[in-house]
Amino acid sequence: MSILSKGACFKRLLVMSGAAIGTVAIGGVAFLYSGLYSMGADDPHYDVTTWALETLRENSIARASQSIEVPSDLNSAERLLKGGADYNDMCAGCHLKPDKSENDFTLGLYPAPPNLATIHRTGEDEKSEDQRNFWIIKHGIKASGMPAWAPGHDDKRIWNMVSFLKRLPDLTPTQYQILTARGKNDAAHH
Amino acid sequence: MNNKQLSALLAIPALMMAFAVQAHSEKEHMEKAENPDCATMNAMDHSKMDMSDPVVMAMMQQCMNTMQQGTAEVENTPHGHGEHMTGAGKASDHMQQAPSQ
Repeated sequence: MSILSKGACFKRLLVMSGAAIGTVAIGGVAFLYSGLYSMGADDPHYDVTTWALETLRENSIARASQSIEVPSDLNSAERLLKGGADYNDMCAGCHLKPDKSENDFTLGLYPAPPNLATIHRTGEDEKSEDQRNFWIIKHGIKASGMPAWAPGHDDKRIWNMVSFLKRLPDLTPTQYQILTARGKNDAAHH
Repeated sequence: MNNKQLSALLAIPALMMAFAVQAHSEKEHMEKAENPDCATMNAMDHSKMDMSDPVVMAMMQQCMNTMQQGTAEVENTPHGHGEHMTGAGKASDHMQQAPSQ
């Protein structure tokens, strides 16, 4: 008797669980089609959504980038010069430069692109940060405005930008200008 | 709509997208390339610079032509070492003549 009642109880529990899952699934699909969720970039996510997305992003990038091999010559002057010029052309519009604190992109994009000219490295795990930066530049980040640069840029060029990012927060506006200028200041100008 | 028209409709946007994402070379940026402001570099106190710092090395590399040219002009000028013969002065002159964009 008690066995029978236990079985019936388990069955009832299964049915109720199935009904609950079904209700949530149907409710979720109904919500997707309802158009109730605001997609405007000027209307921030709920905190819980932001937390979920950031947790997903950081863990995904950490996992995907952990086996990337970091070149040993990242601190070379040649890499700084090449990476600096590319940063200025491709990244500074959103990620700013030493004498800028905001522009239309940083004000309007959501999530706002980080100001890479002010983010100082913690120094705790330099290798992981280099791997992370390389992966993000190469692959981009979904639905964030950050494009994947891999289709038009080889790994060497991307590492040059990673090299420049390591020193960017320390640069003065003057140093930034000199390092990122593509023009040649030679006698040909005369 | 027949298959040919459908193929054309799909192929044209696909081709346009392919051209848009083609590898872009550094040369494409050269047309609007800015020149390094080496005049400010010359005005800096070089004794306080760490010459082993990659940033300083890169700046020196970037402005090497200007600095060499300034030195050569100083050596070739017959009027001795007047105030207009300093590296900073020559670099400033150079920068004023050179297009900034």
